[in-house]
Amino acid sequence: MAHLVIERLTKVYERGKVRALTDVSFEVERGEFLVLIGLSGSGKSTLLRCVNRLVEPTSGRVILDGTDVTRLSPRALRRTRRKIGMVFQQFNLVKRSSVLSNVLTGRLGYVSTWRALLGRFPKEDLERARRALSRVGLLEKMYARADELSGGQQQRVGIARALMQEPELLLADEPVSALDPATSHSIMQYLEQMNRDDGVTVLASLHFLSLARRYGTRIIALKDGQVVFDGPPGAIDNAKFKEIYGEDAEEVEVR
Amino acid sequence: MRERLLLSRRRFLSFFLDWISWVYLLYAGFSVHYIRTSPTLIWRPEEKFVLPELGLTDWILVLLVTVELTLLVRSFGVSLGQRAFGVILARADGSPRVGFFPRFGHFLASQLVLLTVGLPVLVRPDRPWHERAAGVALLPRPRGAPRVRPWWTSAYALTGAALAGVTVALGWVVTDIQVGALIRDVDKPARLWRGLSRPDLSYFFVPHPLEVDSIFGALVKSLFMALLATLAGAAIAFPFSFLGARNITATGPVGRVGYALTRGFFNVFRSIESIFWASIFAIWVGFGAFAGTIALFLHTIAALGKLYSEQVEHIDPGPVEAATAAGGNRLQVIKQAVIPQVLPPFLAFTLYRWDINLRMATVVGFVGGGGIGLLLKNFKDGGEWTQVGAVIVTFAVTVWLLDFVSGWVRERIV
Repeated sequence: MAHLVIERLTKVYERGKVRALTDVSFEVERGEFLVLIGLSGSGKSTLLRCVNRLVEPTSGRVILDGTDVTRLSPRALRRTRRKIGMVFQQFNLVKRSSVLSNVLTGRLGYVSTWRALLGRFPKEDLERARRALSRVGLLEKMYARADELSGGQQQRVGIARALMQEPELLLADEPVSALDPATSHSIMQYLEQMNRDDGVTVLASLHFLSLARRYGTRIIALKDGQVVFDGPPGAIDNAKFKEIYGEDAEEVEVR
Repeated sequence: MRERLLLSRRRFLSFFLDWISWVYLLYAGFSVHYIRTSPTLIWRPEEKFVLPELGLTDWILVLLVTVELTLLVRSFGVSLGQRAFGVILARADGSPRVGFFPRFGHFLASQLVLLTVGLPVLVRPDRPWHERAAGVALLPRPRGAPRVRPWWTSAYALTGAALAGVTVALGWVVTDIQVGALIRDVDKPARLWRGLSRPDLSYFFVPHPLEVDSIFGALVKSLFMALLATLAGAAIAFPFSFLGARNITATGPVGRVGYALTRGFFNVFRSIESIFWASIFAIWVGFGAFAGTIALFLHTIAALGKLYSEQVEHIDPGPVEAATAAGGNRLQVIKQAVIPQVLPPFLAFTLYRWDINLRMATVVGFVGGGGIGLLLKNFKDGGEWTQVGAVIVTFAVTVWLLDFVSGWVRERIV
C-alpha cells in the first residue's frame, strides 16, 4: 500500500477565487524522495500544506497510511500531524527564542498542554533535542537566540525541530530558496540523510531543476495547479523543461 | 454595465458632496454671523449655546439657493465633488474643451432636472437627457491630465478653502476665543504666579494642618495607585488580548464572535475616561485612593487590551504555522510561538501605561480619587498657591524621572 495517496485534490482560495490546485492525483511509496517542481504560484506550497491541512482542501482526499486526513477531527488531526514533519522556506523559527525552545516546538504534539504552558518538557525530550541538534551539528548553539544564527544554521534548527517529531513523512516547502548554493547542498544532504537512514518519505518542493535531479528519486511538475509531469529525474528532457517552465526559460545549474 | 453603474454613482455622489458643501457653507456662515451679533451669547458662558433656527420658508429658500449654486459651479467650473470623485464636464465627443454656450446650455437644461425632481437622471443615470440636449457629458477625468491652470483659480480649490475658512471661523466663535483677554489680563492671577514661583516645601514630609497626607505621602499614594492599576489591568488584559486578536481567534464562527465581543469591550471601555469611573467609585466605595485605583484599573484593561491585541496581530505567522504543523493545540501554539514574540512589546506597553496612569492619577484625584490630585485640588481651592507650586514641582520631577527610567528600560527590552 502506498504511504501517501493524493486523490483528485482541488483547492480554490475564496479570496480572489484563485484555483491553486485542480484535480491533482498521485501516490507516494514509503521511502521515496519526491520533488515537486514548477514556477512560483504553480501550487507547490498549497499542495504541501494540504497534506497536513495547514490549508484546507476544497475537495479531494489525502490518504496517509490508509487514513483519510481530510476527514479527521481536530484532535485526530493533531495526532496525525505529529508524524508529519515540516521544513519551511523562511525557517519559521521564533527569532527571539533560544534554539532549544524552537527545537522543542517539534514535541508539542506529544506533550500535554500544561507541560507546554509551563515550559516543562520531559527529560527524554531534552535528551532528544540534544541528539537532534548534534545531528545537525548545532549542539553548542543550543542556548543561542535563533536570530543570532546564519540562514543555513537556522534551517538546520528547522530540520532538528522536524527530527523531534520522529516523522514518517517530511514536507519541505522550498527548504533552500532563501540560502546560497553551497549551503543549499548541505541542507539537502540532511534531508537526503533522513530519507536514507531513517526511511522518512520526503516531499520537497524545489526551485532548481538541478537540485531536483540530484536529490529526487522521482519528480512531479506542477503548472497552474495541475500535474504536467510525473516520472524519474532522467526523463525530463529539454522539451519537457520548456513545457513546465515556459518557452523563454533557461536551465540554471546549482553546483 | 458595471462601468455605467460606477459612473452614475460618481455622478450622484459628486453632486451630493457639492450640494452639502453649499448647505454647510451657508448655514455655518450664517451661524458665525448670528453668534457674533447676538449679545446674550458673548461674555455669558452659562447661556445655552443655540444655533440659529430656520423656518420652513427659509429652508425652501436655502434649498433653492444651494442647488442653483451647485448647478452653476458644476456647469462652469470643476466643482469640489467633480474633483473628489474624478469626473469632469466634457463635450459629448469626449473632448475636454467645452465652450461657454454648451456650459450655459447645461446649466439651463439642469433646471429641467430640478423641475421634474430628477426625472432625466433617474431614467438614464449614466447619460441623462439634459446633458445630451446641451451637447455635453460628465466623464471620468483622464488620469494624469495636464493642469490647464493654477489650482487656486479653480472652483474646487476655492470651495475647499471656503469650507476650511468658515469652519475655523465657526470654531473661533463657538469656543469664544478672546486674544484680547489673554494679553490684557495677564496680571489677574498675580498671586498664583507669585506662589507658583516660590514653591513652599515645608509640608513635603509633614502634613499640612488641614490635610491628611504630606506631599510626599500623597505622591507615594499616587505612585502605588498607578502601579496597582497597571499590574491588575495588565493581568486581566493579557489573556483577553489573544481573544481580541484576529489571527488567533477569527478561524471559526465562535472565535469570530469572541473576537468581536472582546474588541467591542476594549473599545467601549477605552472611550470611557477614568475620571468618569472615579466619580462613580468615589460614591460607591468612598472618596480616596481605592476609588481612584479602580477607575485607573478599568481604563487600563481596555487600553492595554487593545494595544496587546494589535501586537498579537502583527506577529510573524511563520512560527505559528510551524507549531501547528508539529501537532500543537491552540494553547500550546500560543505559548510556544506567540508569547515569545509579544512579551517584550507587552512589557514596554505596560511600563508606558504606568507612566500614563501616574499622570491620570492626578486628574482622577480631582474628582475623588485621592492621592496627589486630591492634595492639589484642596490647596488650589484654599488658595494656597505656594503649596500648589510645591505639589506641581514635586509631581513634574517625579513624572520626568519615571518617564526617563521607563524610556530607558523600554529601549533595552524591545
